[in-house]
Amino acid sequence: MTDAVLRTVVRRETHSPRTVAMIVVAVLLLLVLAYAAVEIILNLVGQPALLVAPGEALNALVAAPTALLPVAFIVGGIVLALVGVLVLVLALKPGRLSRHEMAWGERAVVVDNGVVASAVAQHLSNESGIARDDIVVGVAHRSVDVTVRPPVGIPVDEAELRRLVEEEVTSYKLSPAVRTHLRVQRPDTKESR
Amino acid sequence: MNATRRGLNRFLLFLVAVVLLAAGALALLVGLAPGGADTWTSVMGGFQGWLVGLGRESAGWGAVAAFVVLAVILIVIASSAVRGRRQAPLQSTGSASDEGRITVTDNFASEALKNALAERDEILSARITAGEINKESVLHVAVTPRQNTSPRQVAEHVDTLVSNLAALTGQNLRAYISIHSGLRAKLAHDNTRVR
Repeated sequence: MTDAVLRTVVRRETHSPRTVAMIVVAVLLLLVLAYAAVEIILNLVGQPALLVAPGEALNALVAAPTALLPVAFIVGGIVLALVGVLVLVLALKPGRLSRHEMAWGERAVVVDNGVVASAVAQHLSNESGIARDDIVVGVAHRSVDVTVRPPVGIPVDEAELRRLVEEEVTSYKLSPAVRTHLRVQRPDTKESR
Repeated sequence: MNATRRGLNRFLLFLVAVVLLAAGALALLVGLAPGGADTWTSVMGGFQGWLVGLGRESAGWGAVAAFVVLAVILIVIASSAVRGRRQAPLQSTGSASDEGRITVTDNFASEALKNALAERDEILSARITAGEINKESVLHVAVTPRQNTSPRQVAEHVDTLVSNLAALTGQNLRAYISIHSGLRAKLAHDNTRVR
């Protein structure tokens, strides 16, 4: 895909816009601002304060180190810093959604990881004869994990299964590219010990 | 597909994070550093003195004005993020020749695609919208196939339909195809090959 507009679309559709986080932060800030403004205006027009008058609040702030134990400041500081780190992570991390781009000529194609997972599992089931319910596939950003639980006593060719999965995943031309891992899990029975 | 200004979202989050981290560091300094409490009292006392010096009326109304300006900026940013979700209006394109003029609306394109997709059994639902990115219109085809359907097959099918439509209407559509899994796909029958 060479089209710049479509490239923008794909980037936007595979990364979180962070709109929800931004709105939550903005609404909280607005509430704080509105409350402070209301208290100040009530004080200015000579009405009783809702919770605390602005002058008293300022006095309390100045006297805080003597009124409170240092522990309160330490705990408060840690809490503020943790919330700050959380918001910083939201601001700076790419926020990848669980989707992949499929290289598809001139069209932009984006596919949910869940679709890839179920399709790989179905393909493996069709080609190997192992029941669909005995195959579990997980698709992450850079890897595809396949777990096969064949029935007791049925031999499976692990290399063949691996080849089948790899072939199918490669045919999707996912970007970012994924690596496949296959695990054959034998039920823990007397015979297998 | 929307035109939310993501950089702005992240910038606001970043500013808030810096303020929170600075406040946290300040509180820790006051609690831990020797003399931190005294510094706090003297600095905040100075701030209080400055406010008192301004006079009750001007300090109060000044603070309210500053809050209102901040609030307006926040509301503008937040509403612009939400408004970015608005879809572009469906447009029409025409071509004229000696025989006459043909006008194809995006609405027709979307209906034609939708009908063609509805005929396929493995596709549970399809939604077609027109969006605008960087002032260019993009056709967004969102399909939810049955579970276990190969995304390759779905992409191939939608691609062919879009190409056919482009040939029919004579305009090259810029198409974005998204293939979704969802509750609907989980609840419907799987697309299992009958053996």
